[in-house]
Parts: sequence; structure tokens; C-alpha cells
Amino acid sequence: MGKMERFAFVALVAGILFFLFADFISWALPMFVLKDIPKKSVEDLAAEAISRNSTAWSDFKKLARYYPETFKKFCQYEESFSGAKKIPESECKPNGKTLAKALRIGHRWYVAEGCWNCHSQMVRPVSNETLRFGIPGVSNTVSYPSEYNNELQAPVLWGTKRVGPDLIREAAVHNVGWQAAHLYNPKYTSPGTNMPPYPWYYTKDSKGNIVPNERGLSLLTYIMWLGSWEVKPPKDFRINVKASNSAKVKENTEKNFAEAK
Amino acid sequence: MATNSQELQNLVNYGLVKAHVAMGLVFFIIVATMGFLYSLQLDDIYPFVGIEFLSPGRVRMIHTAGAAYGFLVNMFTGLLYWAVPRFTGYRILSDKLGWFMFFALQAAVLITVIGVLFLGMADNVEWGETPWWLDPIIVFWLLLHLMQFGAPLFKASQRGPLYVAGWYISAMLVWTPLVVFMGNMIPRFWAVGSGAGAVQSTFIHDLVGLYVTPVAWGLMYYFVPVIMKKPMWSHGLSLLGFWGLAFFYPMNGVHHFLWSPIPMFAQYSAVFATVAVEFAVTSVLINFMMTLRGSAEQLKYNVPLRYMYTGAIFYWITCFQCAFHVTLTFQKVIHFTDWVTGHAHLIMFGTFGLWVLGMAEYIWPRLFRKETMYSKGLSEGAYWLLMIGVLSMFFDLTAGGLVQGFDWIGLNPWIDSVNFSKPFWYFRSIAGIMMITGLLMYALNFWKTATAKTGLSAELRTET
Ligand code: HEC
Ligand code: HEM
Repeated sequence: MGKMERFAFVALVAGILFFLFADFISWALPMFVLKDIPKKSVEDLAAEAISRNSTAWSDFKKLARYYPETFKKFCQYEESFSGAKKIPESECKPNGKTLAKALRIGHRWYVAEGCWNCHSQMVRPVSNETLRFGIPGVSNTVSYPSEYNNELQAPVLWGTKRVGPDLIREAAVHNVGWQAAHLYNPKYTSPGTNMPPYPWYYTKDSKGNIVPNERGLSLLTYIMWLGSWEVKPPKDFRINVKASNSAKVKENTEKNFAEAK
Repeated sequence: MATNSQELQNLVNYGLVKAHVAMGLVFFIIVATMGFLYSLQLDDIYPFVGIEFLSPGRVRMIHTAGAAYGFLVNMFTGLLYWAVPRFTGYRILSDKLGWFMFFALQAAVLITVIGVLFLGMADNVEWGETPWWLDPIIVFWLLLHLMQFGAPLFKASQRGPLYVAGWYISAMLVWTPLVVFMGNMIPRFWAVGSGAGAVQSTFIHDLVGLYVTPVAWGLMYYFVPVIMKKPMWSHGLSLLGFWGLAFFYPMNGVHHFLWSPIPMFAQYSAVFATVAVEFAVTSVLINFMMTLRGSAEQLKYNVPLRYMYTGAIFYWITCFQCAFHVTLTFQKVIHFTDWVTGHAHLIMFGTFGLWVLGMAEYIWPRLFRKETMYSKGLSEGAYWLLMIGVLSMFFDLTAGGLVQGFDWIGLNPWIDSVNFSKPFWYFRSIAGIMMITGLLMYALNFWKTATAKTGLSAELRTET
């Protein structure tokens, strides 16, 4: 017994051996089981979205079309933390490079804003979650390991708390216009919500319209990408707000902007 | 343990204890205020709408990371500077190192606050929200921490067996740098997806189970017998509790992600280990309760001791609750709801928070060579506010969590669950106000005790 009460024994057996054993069971073994799933880089994800012509790709093209001024600035935008680099003018159009860049920046601010404290990114096989998230009847899949095996899920964004709904199938639920208005002020699209407004992802363009800025455009791209690999919503399925620079959204967002001030 | 002789005073570096405990208290108040601010966002009455650096999500990360590094690490380190030299009989490794570590810790917390609030450099590891480039520095700090307190423990164990507190603290000193390295570095640079999820869940749990829990139990094993002036009831139970915890606790992590894409065998083993931990915890609790036997009347007038036993009972409630909600059946309803948040606060605030407050209140007058705290009224008032505050918050969030869970299963529009939760969230904010008021009273008492001109003398209280 005496030995069990010495520093060296405790440090070695409890401190190191038990710890290593537990880590082996808890994550080394699961990682080993999952090791054959290829790990994708952000560039792979962008290439995949383009080759499958998923909604992430079409929505990104829409964003570029709706907000051309922002898109130009977005190509120039640089960030060392997320590793986003300038893109020369000749390549400044929706392509694999710009989509990957937008996903990187969007993911970075999704994390930095703590969106994951209110939104999970995991559909569980219980509690009717497959019916609630995604498209009932078209895509009701539970979360599966390979959809997380990419650079944007390291660390993984499953989250531990839901104040708002799960977002891993979000691509199927709302269109770009809705998302743009919602992020600017969630109260506009969802009366009674307690999601905070994020006006600092918006700016005014030369005509005085409120439009997403570089970070906002990226964040919207990221949200629209979530689940796009899994679900292809039927035409006109998604909850729809006409392109964000339409008069109605503008009027409403401006009204709300005044309120925020 | 001996009286407050010159010898004992040379053993302990009072300055370091004071500095850490004071900073810990300051951060406690800041962290609680951050939690309160975020709770206002849930109530939809957030006062700083549209200010980027006070974005509620960022404030919440300061709340959790600040609780870990600003509040708990400061408090525990301060208390270790007091307790370790006293029960080993040896000084810490170096006073200079101690001051360096003190300033390094405050700098790390400050950098985290700036990084998260102003620069948007958070990391999505709950409890490890520190920017990732800061994490190696924290690991280095924890290695210094190992040497600083490892030295006296090692010397003492050359002479003979270590006291129980020594086992817990020795193990914790080794675990913590490993845990922080694992949780912050592996998911960023090596593991992805489900593997990263498994690592992160192990981290969330290990920071609680392999840092906070052993250091807190170690300190309890020191302070409780000292205050009651009698030994622990059973050495056998102490051994059982320690080794049970050391073996099963690290395997619990994956229970944070049940029903997730992590392979089921890992989930089942986590559930099993979690239930096993309840038995270890119960053995520890029995030991403490039996030690109290015959001295329970002390709880009436000894506020530090009362904090400790209140915390111990909350600890047991939390662990009892855990044995149920860790099951896959309960998880269907309560995962992702406020039930979990209630659980987190009962253990973090109700147990560890109250414990460190009790311990700090015990040593504080002694640090300033006063016989007692400045005001009995403040001391009692703070205790009751904190205790009732956290308990009502716990019941409130538990109930709220059930409402949310069943509402989600019922496939009602999402906004319904937000509306149904509002009354619970309002009530939580009110409980938060109680707790912050309690903390401010507690801090005022500390301030007055430290600055009181005359030595405060203990009045003799006869039992009533
Ligand atoms: C305080 C908690 C909170 C935070 C922080 C938060 N949200 Fe939300 N979010 C909600 C709530 C509640 C809803 C549901 C009501 C609504 O539509 O606004 C929601 C809804 C959403 C939706 C629509 C989901 C759907 O399918 O109906 C999206 C997309 C979204 N949030 C994105 C974000 C992003 C991006 C961020 C970070 C910049 C964020 N949220 C931060 C609470 C939050
Ligand atoms: C006045 C006191 C406090 C208030 C009002 C408060 C409030 C909050 C709020 C609103 C949240 C967010 C919950 C959510 O996402 O829905 C939270 C989370 C959390 N708080 Fe506190 N808090 C307080 C004190 C503390 C203290 C002292 C600690 C630690 C020592 C702590 C630890 C945590 C943890 C670990 C979480 C994450 C819980 C989870 O993921 O569910 N809190 N708190």
C-alpha cells in the first residue's frame, strides 16, 4: 500500500498509464476505425461542390451576381488567421479558388462569432430529428462520419447546445435572400427570435443599398454550403425571400437598421 | 497541523497566495457578469445590440474560457500555494518562478479576451476557446506548474507515503498539461470530423475531471480535516475514491456526444465508465459525511466549512443526476437543451465555485494576520445568496430543458421552443443577479478584511 501513496507511482500509473488507456479507448480506437475515410481539404470541398453542381455552387454564383461590388473587394480581402489570400483580378469570378476562400473565411467567422454555441451541426437518429431537419421524404439522413471528414470540421462543430435549430442540413431550408436578410436582422424573417443581429457583416454599396461585406458574403456562402452535399432541394422548395437587393428586403432591413441604432 | 508559527509562515509565500486568490475573485465576478450578459441575449433584452466586439456569442466564449483559465486556474493555484507547502512541509520550487507564472497567467487570460472579443480568433473547442496559437504556451505554463508544485510533493514522498491530498494533486499536475495538449492540438492538426469530436469530448470532460475535480478534492482533503481538527473517517475509502476516479474518469468524455457519428463502442464504454464514476464519487462523499459526524453543529457558525459541505452535497446531486442522463434514453430528450447547462452550473458554480469560496474565506484572514473576516453579515449574506441562486438556477434550467426537449421531439415550429423557454430564461437571469450580488458582497468583505486597520478579533460564540 505504501507504494501506492508515492508521487512517482501516482504520477506514472494514474497520471500517465490510466490517461493513455482512456485516450486509447475514447478516441484513438474510434479514429482507427474511421481511418479509411479520406480527409478533404477546403479546395477538395469546393471542387466537389462544383463538379456535382450542388446548391452550394449555384448559391455562390448567385451571391457573386447579387453583390458584384462586394465580390470584387472579397477577391482583394486577406486574412492571415484563416489563411485566405488575395486573388488576382483575372481569376476573380466564381470558381474553385474563390469558393474555397469564401468557405475558409466564412467558417472562421462562424467559429469566431460563437454561432456554434446556439446551433448544433449534427442530426441524431432519435427524437424525430431526421423529420425536423432537412427535407422530409427527399433527404432524411442521420449525420454520418464521412460528411465531417474535412478541414472545416477540425475541431468538429457538432456543438453542445441548441437555442436555434441544427444547421447541418440548412442548405435545403432557406434561399440566399432569406439568409442575407436573416443574418442582418433575424427579427425581420423570424419574429420573436432571440438570435442576435449581425450588422457588421454588412455595408452600403455605391447605390446606398445595404449589402453583405466581404466577411458577410463568405459567411453566407458557408451557411449555404452546410448540407449541400447531402440534399438537393426540389425547385422552389426553399423558404424564399427575393434577391436581397429587392425593394422589400431593403425597406425592411433599413427599418430594422434604424431600430438597431 | 501546527499553529501559525514563524516556521509555517516561512513555508508559504503569502504574496503569491494573495495575488492569485484576489485575481481569481476578480475574474469570478467578470465571468459571472459575462454569463449574465449572455443570458440577457436569450431573454432578447441584450443591451449592446450591434456592437461587434460585444457580440453575444463572443461574450459567451469569454464566459466559459474565462471560467476555466481566469477564475478556476487562478483560484486553485493560489490555494495550492497555501496548501501544498503546508501539508508536505517543503517550500515550492521557486518564488521567482511563481511570480513569473502569475503574470504569465494573467497575460494569457488577457490575450484570450482580446483575441476572442476583438480579433475573432476563437477556437471552437468548448472550454478551450483560447486562440490555438496560445495553447502551446498554456501547455508550457502547465509544465512549469508541474515543477513548481511537483518539487515539494516529490521531496515529501521521499520521506514516506503522501497524504491523500498529495495523490490527487500529483496526478492532476501530470494530467493537466497532457489534457490541454490533447484537446487543443490534436483536433486542430491531426484529427478531423468524428475523430476530432471524440478528442474534443474527451477534452471537455478531462478538463473538468482531470484538472478541476482532482485539484478540488485534493484541497478538500486538506482543508476539511484542518478546519474540523480531526482526521478523515476512512483511509480505505480515500484510496478507493482516488483510484476509482483516476481509472474511470478519463474514459467518460464521449458521453458528451452520444448518438453522434462516433463509433458506438466508444459511446457505450463512456456510458459504462460514467456510471462507474458515480460509485467512486459516492465513496468519497460517504467518507466526507462520516468525517462530519459529531461535528455537524460547526456548520451553523463556520461559513467556510458550510460552503464546503454544501458544495459536496451539490456534487453528489450532480453525479446522481449524471448516472441517469448519461443513458441513451435520457439523452434523446435532454441533449442540446438547458438541462445540460443546469447540470454544468450546479457542478461548476454550486460545487467548485462554492468550494473555492469557502477555502478562500478560510485562508484570507490568516493571510492578513486577522482573526476573522470583517463582517459576519456579509459573509452569511453572500453564502445564502450564492447557494439559493445556484440551486434555483439549477431547478429552473432542468425544468426548462425538459420543456425544450419534448417540444423539439413534438416537431412544433422552432420558434415555439424559444417562446416556451423565455420564462425559464428570465428566471435564470434573476438567479444570476442573486449570484452576482452574492459575489460582490463576498468581494467587499474580502476588501474590507484586507484593508482593515486594526486586527479583527474573533468573538466567542456560544452555541444557541
Ligand atoms: C443566441 C443564440 C443564437 C446565436 C448566437 C446565433 N443564432 Fe442563429 N438562430 C437562433 C435561433 C433562436 C433561431 C431560430 C429562429 C430564427 O429563425 O431566427 C436561429 C436561426 C438561424 C438560422 C435559420 C435556421 C433554420 O433552419 O430555421 C440560421 C441559418 C442561423 N440561425 C445562422 C446563425 C449564424 C450564422 C450565427 C452566427 C453568426 C447564428 N445563427 C448565431 C439563435 C442563435
Ligand atoms: C452569475 C453567474 C452565472 C450566470 C448568470 C451564467 C450564465 C450562463 C449562460 C447564459 C450560459 C449559456 C448557456 C447556453 O448556451 O444556453 C452559461 C454557460 C456556461 N457557464 Fe455559466 N453563468 C454563471 C456562472 C458560471 C460560473 C461561475 C461557471 C464556472 C465556474 C460557469 C460555467 C459555465 C459553463 C461550463 C457553461 C457551458 C454550459 C453548456 O455548454 O451547456 N458559469 N452560463
